[in-house]
Amino acid sequence: MSFRDIGIKIQAAREEKGFSQEQLARLVGCSQSALSNYEKGKRRLYLSQLEKIAEILDKPLEYFVASLSSQHHSQPVADRNQRFVTIVNHLSRLTDEEINEVMEYIDYLEWRRSGGHK
Amino acid sequence: MMDFSLTKEQQELISSVKNMASKEITPFALQAGETEKKKMLKSLARMNLLCPTVPKEFGGLGLGLVSSALVVEELAAASPGLAAIVAATLHAAEPIILAGNDQQKNEFLPLLTGREAGAAAFALTEPEGGSDLNIISTYATAEQTGYLLNGCKDYVINAGIARFITVVAATDMLNKKASLRIFLIPGHAAGLKTEEIYQTSGINLAPVGRVKFVDVGIRDQYVIKSREAGSGYLLLTQTFDVGRALVSALAVGIARAALEHALHFAENRLQSGIPIKKHQAVAFTLADMATKIEMARLMTWKACWLIDQGEDYSVASAMAKLVSSTVAQQVTCAAADILGARGYLQGNLIEQLVRDARVLSTIEGTNHIQRLVISSQL
Repeated sequence: MSFRDIGIKIQAAREEKGFSQEQLARLVGCSQSALSNYEKGKRRLYLSQLEKIAEILDKPLEYFVASLSSQHHSQPVADRNQRFVTIVNHLSRLTDEEINEVMEYIDYLEWRRSGGHK
Repeated sequence: MMDFSLTKEQQELISSVKNMASKEITPFALQAGETEKKKMLKSLARMNLLCPTVPKEFGGLGLGLVSSALVVEELAAASPGLAAIVAATLHAAEPIILAGNDQQKNEFLPLLTGREAGAAAFALTEPEGGSDLNIISTYATAEQTGYLLNGCKDYVINAGIARFITVVAATDMLNKKASLRIFLIPGHAAGLKTEEIYQTSGINLAPVGRVKFVDVGIRDQYVIKSREAGSGYLLLTQTFDVGRALVSALAVGIARAALEHALHFAENRLQSGIPIKKHQAVAFTLADMATKIEMARLMTWKACWLIDQGEDYSVASAMAKLVSSTVAQQVTCAAADILGARGYLQGNLIEQLVRDARVLSTIEGTNHIQRLVISSQL
């Protein structure tokens, strides 16, 4: 997630709402060029500004900052964090050699996810 | 309209801080131990300077960033370590001032004001991941009425003396950046432990250490914008942009102290029967030092002015920090050259200032990070 990602989502939400850059800029209280730079990720957004944009575009703040990759995770956050703790506990009991094997498998999973290009 | 003049209030503020520092800080700064440090912190508390941005309704001076930068520069010129304690406290308070609710402001900000004021700490950096938000490993698990915090933060300025620690942690390990939250942890919280205080090369008065959190229970009201998922990342970047302007002021103060010391030496040290300041090689060096400091100060003021005006200050604060930290390192080394062998002796002010300036290109985001921040917005 970067300011560019946030900008892409602002643009998508603005277009979904049917606003031009000029219209949204006027409602937010900034210039059209400032809004254009927000959408391009070339200007940093502060919390109060994004809160205003989110309110005008009827989206929760989380919509703009959530990583695209997070859409692939279906488990509730607390459950996933608990599983991480369990995994770390298991890892702490492994030998160095076994940890190397786990790392090799993780490398394989990443290679597979990248379509074999990594 | 362009105006570089300071207001009457700002001039009086500088004068009072300078006066206090000349009597209560500068004479003891080089050899200060724990006793002297406590006295210096009491002097700051007496003048309500530990966190001058705290609004008046919470007991603070309610200063803007330009005025606060003036204070930080004066303190840094007297004792960089003491100024680092103040800058870290200002950084820790900033998320509360920017986005805290009334309860958070009422509970935490008064701890930094008045005669019993203490320092606060801001904790982001971790032992393995540095300040990389993508691999942050301190995490907070949501409970019924709050969170349970576990993890470790490193190189925390004001570790061990902080009345509270402003901690950045992830609440979703697979979506770290977007799930960041800012937690306010009282210094006496169960499960909070200062593991180690490091022996640092510079800013020695400021305690820098490693802090561990083991099942620290945090009530919902101690989480900034607890109900607004996604707010933490934006608030964090904004807080950093303010912190960079303050580090920039700290750098200007260090550079100024080095120039003043080198100038005094050059006016009194005779070579071939005349003060070395009259030799062009030294005079030109002093001229370059003064010019660079002026550049750094103006960039610092501009960043702080933009903050006070509520304008976009991200690039300005990154540029100010990049320039000022570089200038402080250049100027302190140039001062050491002017002093010659004296400037290499332990216990000499310039030797200390060279070490103090070294940290400036690392803290509050390395200077490479500043370049990334600037270039991403070009």
